[in-house]
Formats: sequence, structure tokens, C-alpha cells
Amino acid sequence: MIVDCHTHWGPSFKTRYGLDPAPWLDGELRHGVTHAVVAPLLGLHDDTLLPQENDDIAAVCAASGGCMIPFCAVNPYRRDTTAAEFRRCVEGLKMRGLKIHPWVQGASLFGDSIDELCEMAAHWRVPLLFHDGTPSYSLPSQIALLARRHPDATMILGHCGLYEHWREAIAAMRYAENLWGCLCGPHLGALRELVRRCDRQRLVWGTDYGASGTDVVGHFWRLFKLLPLTDREFEQITLHNPRRLLGAALAC
Amino acid sequence: MNEITDAYCTPGVERETRLTPMDLLQCMDEAGIHRAVIAPEDREIAVHNISGNNRILEISRKAQGRFIPACTVNPWFGAAACQELRRAVEAGAKMAVLAPALQGFCFGDELLDGLLDTAAELRVPVYVHTGPHSFGAPTQLIVAAAECPAVRFILGHCGSTDFARDMPDAIRLASENVWFEVSLLDPWAAAQYAKAGNRQKVLFGSSAPRSNPAFELRSLMSMLPAQDYPDVYGGNLAALIAEVRS
Repeated sequence: MIVDCHTHWGPSFKTRYGLDPAPWLDGELRHGVTHAVVAPLLGLHDDTLLPQENDDIAAVCAASGGCMIPFCAVNPYRRDTTAAEFRRCVEGLKMRGLKIHPWVQGASLFGDSIDELCEMAAHWRVPLLFHDGTPSYSLPSQIALLARRHPDATMILGHCGLYEHWREAIAAMRYAENLWGCLCGPHLGALRELVRRCDRQRLVWGTDYGASGTDVVGHFWRLFKLLPLTDREFEQITLHNPRRLLGAALAC
Repeated sequence: MNEITDAYCTPGVERETRLTPMDLLQCMDEAGIHRAVIAPEDREIAVHNISGNNRILEISRKAQGRFIPACTVNPWFGAAACQELRRAVEAGAKMAVLAPALQGFCFGDELLDGLLDTAAELRVPVYVHTGPHSFGAPTQLIVAAAECPAVRFILGHCGSTDFARDMPDAIRLASENVWFEVSLLDPWAAAQYAKAGNRQKVLFGSSAPRSNPAFELRSLMSMLPAQDYPDVYGGNLAALIAEVRS
């Protein structure tokens, strides 16, 4: 079992295949990746699409035999509706985490609305997956402070700081023990330092599959396998850590 | 088959750019790369320009033509930076490297004026690291390049990671004096840029050791075969550096 902890359900799949998970899963399975965390994509840009996209992801993941783990998205900026939509997704649609993209959504991580979402996530014990690596709303340090404010919530840096903020990501994970990192986006030199200097118990791997390009899974899997890790360490990051992070959602 | 040249590598001694010249040559041999531009590492780019330039020139001298030396100067050194650029180019450097985020300046700053005049006079291409938001956005370089038509700029990394949406228009609107180096860029994006009518402006690079040369080369070649695009894999760079007046 190998778990990709950062993917998206792109609209091109729905257009071509409806809510059939098989073609989407094929992009993972052909490289031996068996499970994936799946989050919305277009709704991050246009939040009027989010309820439908959350419904679609819940449905396509439910049809995947447990291979696709559904994460919902809400816009923290919409204080009047965001908590209700999060509740609907977790309690009604049985989604297993929350994706927030502060940069694209234009949502500051310092405000009452995001605090309420973190408290709800902590109550349900579902993780929050953040885009990170991008000023001015998505710095690893900003997410680290949020994690400190909500020590009972589990948060994930979705990109470990990308190319420019990976050192900051290392510091952020040291600063907040409830902050995890997804090895998805940094270059090889940064990945080497991340696996060397971070608590490896809090690292997972991801590809951003569904957000761009063709065969991104193969590309990022080959990059990941260039790291100087033992088979056991690879397995820790791609299997055992995701199991601890996702709990019963990855029970199959 | 045409020779493949890597447009950017950093054989350094610290942090994530630790890589001996011998190890770089071995990586190049394994990847099938014949020559590589080598550049000073971060501390040398930021503050120790002269010693960094000397180190790279010395490594190149010993490599029997397989390394092409690049130099760096920090614009904050003013007239001394111009003097050092002239010295390094006379000693054999074929490219000047600027890293706005690392060196603490923004394109458009008058701080650069004298330095860019010197680069234009020497016909030395100016490689600019892009990607950092406030100090390295591709659009900042595109705008600056339009004001300095005599300077030949290389837009390093094509704005990876966050400026992918900017790049098609940035390339389309770029003035004639801008080239695009694709190290650390997703290979499908690099291939798209080359196929969209800009092949004479695209340069293959690996940014070793921040990435692996074989990985970067194979990833790009799977979408942009070297036999069909020999210019991208070395021809464009050779033409660029051929004009340097040392």
C-alpha cells in the first residue's frame, strides 16, 4: 500500500467519466500508488462551486472501495456559511479532512472564522490540509502559529514550503508538534534536507495529482525515490504515517 | 547526436549545494550530458563574490572544457561589482548570475544600472534566478528586460513554483533579449514553452545538485526529444555564450 496524501479531483475527470473513480485511480495505480487523499480543485478558486464539488468528491470516493479518501473544502472567508458546509461534509457526506488554500481563497489564517473550523476539525479528529509555500497568506510560519493556537487539531503543510520556504517549513514543524508536512513540491535538494531534519513521524508524501499536467504521479514518485532513504523509511512516509494521520479513513 | 549542455549547476561546499566537481562530472556522464555551466553557490552569490568566482574559474580550468564558468556579483557593491564582473569575464566567465532574493534587490532598482551597462558591453548573458515572490517574479524581469534591450537575460527556472500562470504571457510578451532556462520546472510546462514557438529561447538546465541531472534530462526528453530539439539542449546556449567578449 502506498498513499498519496495530496491530490485533487479535477473537473476534466467529471466531464469525461462522470463520477467513475476508475480512470482517476488508474493515474495512481499504474505507478503502484494504491490510496490517495482527494480534495476539491475548482471550488478553491470559485467557492460557489464548492458544495457541488464536495458532493462529487464524496460520491466518487465512496465508489472507490476505500482507495480515495475524501477531503472537503470550504472558504474560511464566508463566515455565514462555512461552518455549516464543513459540518454537512463531515457528518453528512462522511468526508475525512478539510483542505484550505489561503493564497487562492484570499483567506487570512488569523481570524475567528478559521478558528471555528480548527475547533470543529479537532472535535471530529479530522486533519486540515493547507496549501503552503506562498506569501502572503500561505507561509509555513503562519500555519505554524495557527497550529499552536489549536494544539488539538492536526494540520498538514501541503507542500513543505515549496522551493522558497522549505527551510521555514522545517522550522514550522519544529515549532508546532501538531503540524505535519507533505513532501509535495520542493526540489530534490530541499527534500533531502526535509527528510534529514524533520520529525519523520510527521512526514507524508504527495503529488498534487489532478491539479496539473500528465502523469504527475510518475514524475514525483521517481523524484521521491531519489531520496537517500531505506525501504523501511520510504514505507514509513508512504504508509505508516498516513495510517496514523488518517486513522479509520485508511482502514482498508 | 548533438552534445547536451546543462545550463546551470552549482558545485558547492555547503548546505543543499554540496557537490564536488568530480561528482558532478560523474552525474553528467551518467546522464549523457557533455558540458555544464557551473556557478558560485549561495554564500558566494550573496557576499563572497570574488572568492566564489575564483573558485568556479579554477574548477573550470581543470575540467578540460567540460565546465563553462559563470560568475556573480552583488549589485550592492556598486562600482566594485562592475569591476569584478569585468575581471571575471576577462578570466573566462561566460555568464553572470544574479539572484534578487538572495542578493537583496528588486529589478527596476537603479542600483543595477551600471552593472547592466557593463554586462551589455561585455555581451555576457545575465542569468536571473526567479521564483521568489517579491524579489524574483518573472514579470519583474520581463519589464526590466524591455528597458535594457542591450542586455541578454536568462530567466532561470521560469518562475517555479508559483508563477506557472504568468509564464505563457510572460514568454509571449518578452522582448528579444530574454531566454528561458527550465531547471526545476515541471517538464510538461517546459515542453509546452518550447513547442509553443519559443524553442530558440528555451535552455535545458538541471540546477544540480538541487535536482538530479539524469532525472531532469530524462523527464524533459520524454516530452521534448533531444534529436528534435538540439537547440534546447545546448544549441541556444552555445549561441548565447559565443558572443561574450572576454
